[in-house]
Amino acid sequence: MLKGINLSVSAGQVVGYIGPNGAGKSTTIKILMGMLPDYAGEATVLGMDVKTNALAIKRRVGYVPENAALYDTLTPMEYLQFIGQLYELDPAHIERKALDLLRLFQLSDHANARMTTFSKGMRQKVLLISGLLHNPDVIFLDEPLSGLDANAVVLVKEIIRQLANDGKTIFYSSHLMDVVEKISDRIIIINQGQVIADGTFAELQHQRPESLEQLFSQLTGNEGQTGVAEEFIHTLKN
Amino acid sequence: MITIILWILDRLKPLFEALGADYGQLRAIVQVKLTMDSRRSFVSLGRYGKQSGESNTNFIRILAIYAIIGGLISFAMLGIAPKENLFLPLTLQFSYIMALCAMTLISDFSSVILDSSDNQIILPRPVSSRTLWLARVVHITSYLFAITLSLTVVSIFILASRFGAASGLLFLLLSLLSAILMVFLTNIFYLVLMKFTSEEKLREVINYFQIVMAILFYGSYQVLPRLIGSERMLQEPLAHQSWHYLIPPMWMAGATESFIQPVFDQTHLIFLALALLTPFTGLWFMNRFLTTDFTQKISSIDQDGQTTPTPIATTSTNRQSWMEQLADWFTNDSLERAAFAFTWRITSRDRKFKLKTYPQLGFGLAYVIAISFQSGSFSSGSFFYLFALYFGGIYVMVAQYQLRVSDNYRASWVYGSAPIQEPGSILSGSLKAIIIKLLVPFYTLLSSYVLFRYGLDKISDVLLAFSNSLVMLLSAALLSTRSMPFSIEQDAMKQNNTARGLLISLVLALVGFSHYGLTRIPFGVWIALPFSIILCWYLLQQYKKTGWESVEMS
Repeated sequence: MLKGINLSVSAGQVVGYIGPNGAGKSTTIKILMGMLPDYAGEATVLGMDVKTNALAIKRRVGYVPENAALYDTLTPMEYLQFIGQLYELDPAHIERKALDLLRLFQLSDHANARMTTFSKGMRQKVLLISGLLHNPDVIFLDEPLSGLDANAVVLVKEIIRQLANDGKTIFYSSHLMDVVEKISDRIIIINQGQVIADGTFAELQHQRPESLEQLFSQLTGNEGQTGVAEEFIHTLKN
Repeated sequence: MITIILWILDRLKPLFEALGADYGQLRAIVQVKLTMDSRRSFVSLGRYGKQSGESNTNFIRILAIYAIIGGLISFAMLGIAPKENLFLPLTLQFSYIMALCAMTLISDFSSVILDSSDNQIILPRPVSSRTLWLARVVHITSYLFAITLSLTVVSIFILASRFGAASGLLFLLLSLLSAILMVFLTNIFYLVLMKFTSEEKLREVINYFQIVMAILFYGSYQVLPRLIGSERMLQEPLAHQSWHYLIPPMWMAGATESFIQPVFDQTHLIFLALALLTPFTGLWFMNRFLTTDFTQKISSIDQDGQTTPTPIATTSTNRQSWMEQLADWFTNDSLERAAFAFTWRITSRDRKFKLKTYPQLGFGLAYVIAISFQSGSFSSGSFFYLFALYFGGIYVMVAQYQLRVSDNYRASWVYGSAPIQEPGSILSGSLKAIIIKLLVPFYTLLSSYVLFRYGLDKISDVLLAFSNSLVMLLSAALLSTRSMPFSIEQDAMKQNNTARGLLISLVLALVGFSHYGLTRIPFGVWIALPFSIILCWYLLQQYKKTGWESVEMS
C-alpha cells in the first residue's frame, strides 16, 4: 500500500508525519519498527537494516501507539515493570524510574490501582511512560496527546521538544494540524502511499496557504470543505 | 497458582533457552498473562460463576468439578476391569482428556492464541517471535496441564495402586503429553484455517467452528454413552488393527498397557514410540517452522481489519429488505420497528451473542432427538413430545437473557440521550426480533420433528405449546429486571440465575402438566388455545407499556 516513500531523517529532529486516514502512516511506522517484515524496498533505522536487525532496532526505538492499547487489568507499576522486563532492564531500576515518572505525571496516587478505572488521559500518560521507559533514541508517537488535559498537553509538548534537543529523533503522527505545525522541525505529508510534501513549515508555506490545515486539505485533494460544510448544514435542515 | 507455575518454569529455564527463547522475557509475559487472567473472569469458563477478585476460585472450582467427574469415570472404567482388557477403557480415558483439551483450546483459549492486543503492546518491544510464541504456548499449556491433572488424578492413583507406581507415573506423563499434542494439533488447525480463509474472516470462521464444536460436544456427551453403552464391549480384549496407529488416544493407551501388562511386542513398541515421540516432534516442529509464520499471521489480523471495509452493506441489501418486511409485519410503531431491526442485525453479527445462544439451541435439538431414539416408556408416551416442545422454549429464554449483554455496552448512552418516551416499545421490538428470528425457526424444526414422528394430529398440541412458550417467555421477560438491549457488561450481569431458573422450571412444569391434562379431554387443547393466545397478547401489551421507572440502566 506504500508506493514511494523516500525519506531520510537525521537525529535531533521532530518530524511531523501526517496524512489522511489510510494514507499509510501506520504502515510506515510499523515497517520502521520491524513489525511488518513483509515489505519490498529498503528501510534502515539507526544505521541497521530493519529486515535483519529488527530486535536490535526495537531495543533502541520507543513506540506510543494510538487508542491507548495497554493491559488495563494491571496497575501502572505492574504494567511498567512488565514492559521494562521485555527490554531486559533491571527490576529495581525499573521500579525506581517508573515511580519517578509516574510522580512527574501526577499519577503517584494511582501507581498501584488497576487501570480499568482510569480515564483516557491517565491511560495515555502510562502509555507515554511505557514507550519511553527504556530511554530510546528514536521515538514514534501516534496521537500522543489524545485524552490529555490542557496542562498535560503543555507538559508533553515540552518533553517532546527537550527530547529532540537531547538528540533524539521523534516521529510525530497526528491529525491535529495546529499541534503538528508548532511542534515539528520538519513536516512530511503523505497521501495514498506517497510523499506529497516534505520540508519545514516555513518552506511549505511558500506555496501560499496560511496554516498547515489549509495546506493539508489543498494537497490531499480535499479542498472546498466550506462547500461540503454548507451542504451538511443544508442536509441537516431537511 | 501463579507462583507455582513460575516456580516450575524456573526449573525448566534451560529447556526454554535451548528452544531459543529469552527466558526473562518469557517469564515476564507468562506472569503478566496469568495475573490478568486471574483478574478477569474467563471468556466462557466464567459462565460458571461471578468474578472473584484476585483469587482463581473460579478456575479452581472448575478443576474440582473435573476431578470429580474424571474420578467417577476412572472408577467405572479402570477400577474393576482385568488388566488384559484395559486397552479400550484407557483409550476412552485418553480420548476424553484430549477432547476436553481441544475443546478448552478452541472455545476458551482461541482468544488467547489469536490475541491481537499483543500486536500493539508486545510486538513493538524487542521480543523475538519465538519468545512470544513460546510464552503463549506456556501460558495455555499451564491451564491445560491443570485441567489434565485434575481429570486424571484419580486414574493415576487407581493405576498406581493396582499396577505399581511406575504405571501411575507413566499415565501422568502420557496425559500431559496428550495435552501438548492437542496444542500442536490446534496450532496446525488454526494455521490451516488461516491459509484458506482471509484473516478478516478468520474470527468469524472460528466463531462458527466453536458453535459447531460446542454442539458436537454436548451431542456426543448425550449420544456416545448410548452408543458404547454395552458393558460387554468394555470387557472383551480388543484385537489390534493397523488403523489403530492413526488414533492418538490409542497410542497413549497402548503405551500405558505395555507397562501394565507388561508386554513389549511390536505393536506395543510402536504405540509407545508414537506416544512419546509425536508430542515432542510436534513441539520441535512448531518451534522450528511455525512460530514466525504464526505471529506474522496474527499481527496481520488487525491490519486487515483496519483497511478493508466489511462488505456487509453491499451484499445483504436483499436480506435487509426481507428483514424489514418482517419488521413491517410484526411491529406497530416506528420505535418498535427500529428496535426490531437493530436487534436482528446485532444478533446476526455479534460473535459473543452467537456463541452464547446457538450452541444451546443446537443442544436442545440434539437432546430431544437423542432421547426420542431411546427405547423406553418415556419417549413413546404422549408425555414426551410435549416435554420436547416446551423444552424448546427454555433455550430461547437463554437468548432473551443474553439480549441485554454486549461488549459494546457503552454505546447504550443513546437510550439515555434520545428522547424516548416509552422504552417498552424498544423492549418489545427486540423481544419480537428474538421470537421471529430464533424461536420460530427453532420451534418449526422441533415441531416438524414431533409431527413427523408422532403424527399430524398433534398439530393442536404444537400450536398450544407454541403459544404457551410465548406466554412463558413473556412472563420471564416481565419478571426479570428489564434492561435495554445490549446495554450491560457481561461481567456486571448479576448471577442470580438459579432462583430465576427454578421459578421458570416450576411454571414450565405447571403449564406442561395442564397441557397434558387437556390432551385427555376431547377438544381440550383446541379450546385452551384461544385463551392462551389472548393471555400472550395481553402480556405483550403489558411488556410494551414498560416505563422508564422499571428499566435498569447501567
